[in-house]
Amino acid sequence: MLKIENLHVRVGEKQVLKGIDLEVAPGEVHAIMGPNGSGKSTLVQVLAGREGYEVTAGSVTYLGRDLLALPPEERAREGVFLAFQYPVEIPGVNNVYLLKAGLNAIRKHRGEPELDAFEFLALVREKMKLMRMDESFLNRGVNEGFSGGEKKRNEILQMSVLEPKLALLDETDSGLDIDALRIVADGVNALRNPERSIVMVTHYQRLLDYVEPDRVHVLSGGRIVKSGDKSLALELEKRGYDWVRQEEAAA
Amino acid sequence: MSAVTLKQASSPLERYRAEFEARRRPDDALSALRRAALEKFLARGLPGPRDEDWKYTSLRRFESREFALADASSLALEAGQSQWIQSAGTRVVLVNGHAMPTLASQAAQPPGMTLLTLAQWAGHDPSQVAEFLAKWAGEQASPFEQLNLAFFEDGVVLELAADARPDEPLYVVHQWNQAGQQRMSHPRLIVRAGPNSRCTIIEHYLGPADIESFTNAVTTVELADGASVQHYRIQQESTRSFHIGHVGVSLERDSRYSLHDIALGAGLARVGISTRLAGSGSHVSLQGLLAPAGTQHLDSHTRIDHLVPHTTSNEAYRGIASDRGRGVFNGKVIVHPHAQKTDARQSSRNLLLSPGAEIDAKPELEIYADDVKCSHGATTGQLDANALFYLRSRGLSESEARKALIHAFAESILATIELDAVRSHLDRLLETRYGSATEAAR
Repeated sequence: MLKIENLHVRVGEKQVLKGIDLEVAPGEVHAIMGPNGSGKSTLVQVLAGREGYEVTAGSVTYLGRDLLALPPEERAREGVFLAFQYPVEIPGVNNVYLLKAGLNAIRKHRGEPELDAFEFLALVREKMKLMRMDESFLNRGVNEGFSGGEKKRNEILQMSVLEPKLALLDETDSGLDIDALRIVADGVNALRNPERSIVMVTHYQRLLDYVEPDRVHVLSGGRIVKSGDKSLALELEKRGYDWVRQEEAAA
Repeated sequence: MSAVTLKQASSPLERYRAEFEARRRPDDALSALRRAALEKFLARGLPGPRDEDWKYTSLRRFESREFALADASSLALEAGQSQWIQSAGTRVVLVNGHAMPTLASQAAQPPGMTLLTLAQWAGHDPSQVAEFLAKWAGEQASPFEQLNLAFFEDGVVLELAADARPDEPLYVVHQWNQAGQQRMSHPRLIVRAGPNSRCTIIEHYLGPADIESFTNAVTTVELADGASVQHYRIQQESTRSFHIGHVGVSLERDSRYSLHDIALGAGLARVGISTRLAGSGSHVSLQGLLAPAGTQHLDSHTRIDHLVPHTTSNEAYRGIASDRGRGVFNGKVIVHPHAQKTDARQSSRNLLLSPGAEIDAKPELEIYADDVKCSHGATTGQLDANALFYLRSRGLSESEARKALIHAFAESILATIELDAVRSHLDRLLETRYGSATEAAR
């Protein structure tokens, strides 16, 4: 599904990623953890195609294609989805427009017929029920006036409507109370299937209690310094990140 | 001596005198008023770079042009008519500045409403017209208002008796046709809304592409106690034309006036809007959209005078400049001494879509009372890169994402339009200008 090799990324004068190697197979859920400023968000932003990041070395292959050569909308149409850490408020563009325009662009790209208004609404209503969102959200501006939790739920709603092949979740758990966390986790779990891969960036073990990862990676200083199974996350929760850094330094 | 004479004869404005003398008009109560206005215009001259109010708008391009008064003509109107707003209400059409009764919609006038052309009124009772016009042509009148007074030929007069509330809006079409090439017109719209009356007026200025015309329109709206007027002013003249407009509004106690000032057309447009809140409890709302593209220069200068206690105003202008388009917004709010409890809000937000585009926005607050609430803000920027990336990350192409954000920007003004016919007309115009943002969602 996704193969990252020796990825180096610079933001302005700062080398943020210094050689990332990561392979994600279809159906796998990977968690990327690590201290603040370690480059976690940079990694998923680069994968989604945000401007302002300079790839100085390395490659990213997604479904056999050079992902970095594609503009953001092509990546989305090929099945890459980024759930933003800070979803953008866009007054004047309503949620239903964004969902429909996005979904139809993706369907068209896949050679599938566009959904008519009726089919589309039926689909969105079903997904909204899952995210326990009120239908009045649809005609509001994108994320306009949404609470932090509502914004994160809206990201997962978009994800479940767009049905990506590779979902990148950037600190989707931050700022959520326990009920909202459960709703978001249910939404993510509902999307787990053998063809879909998920990469979750998170600070805390909390989300991983609900969405169990197959692999856990620790990103520190722009490199993946340790990888393991879900028990690694529990150990990080107990011991913090320092022991990983020390281990790395000793090696 | 001869040098002085020569200099006078060659002054570019003297041709207005020649044009004035060439026209035969009845010798009536209006003659002296017209001549005095002409002399004031010639003595004052065109505003130049030294006038603070014209700092950003140069008339150099205009000054060298020679425009003659236009004659009535119904030639080749078919193309124009397709641009008219359908089902917009009781329609009155002025072609090249002259009312054309054959193009008016034939509806009976509802009780309490009097609708006539200015030419009719002036023919019938010139001294009454002179008295009315003199009232609006005080020392404050701009050179272009004087020019209008000197040359006006026709226009529309709407009078509403107390409590009159016509169901239909009044739709005034100012249509240029090919015969208006290098021609000028000085139309007037006069609205007198009696106590507790209510009406909606649409002024629509348009002409065929490539025509070089000069419109110098003056609109006056008088609101008596408790009256309510909704006014839409939509300017989409040819991008080679010159459009000057003045809107003067006076408000008495508890009256409400709302204006949508929509500037999409003309090569050079300058609209001055002056509202005087002279009765307590009165309210003014000004919503503007300036969308210069190509090499258009679109300027709106607004002035709101809070003259008495307990008056409110709400002003929001949005500018969208593309290509080498230039927009100018100046919003002056004056809270006069004793106008306590004034509540005045103003916002100006501007969007630049290309490196060659420019918008100059200037709020001006003058406050001479101490117990007031006034706020203003002006911002100018480009499309939000975060929002663009967000939309593209959901599959929208860059151009779709840009269109969606441009329409979203205009939406804050369009959303306040209550008339569906006007709203959908403007949606279509903006789609033509920036492309449709809804393709993908259809």
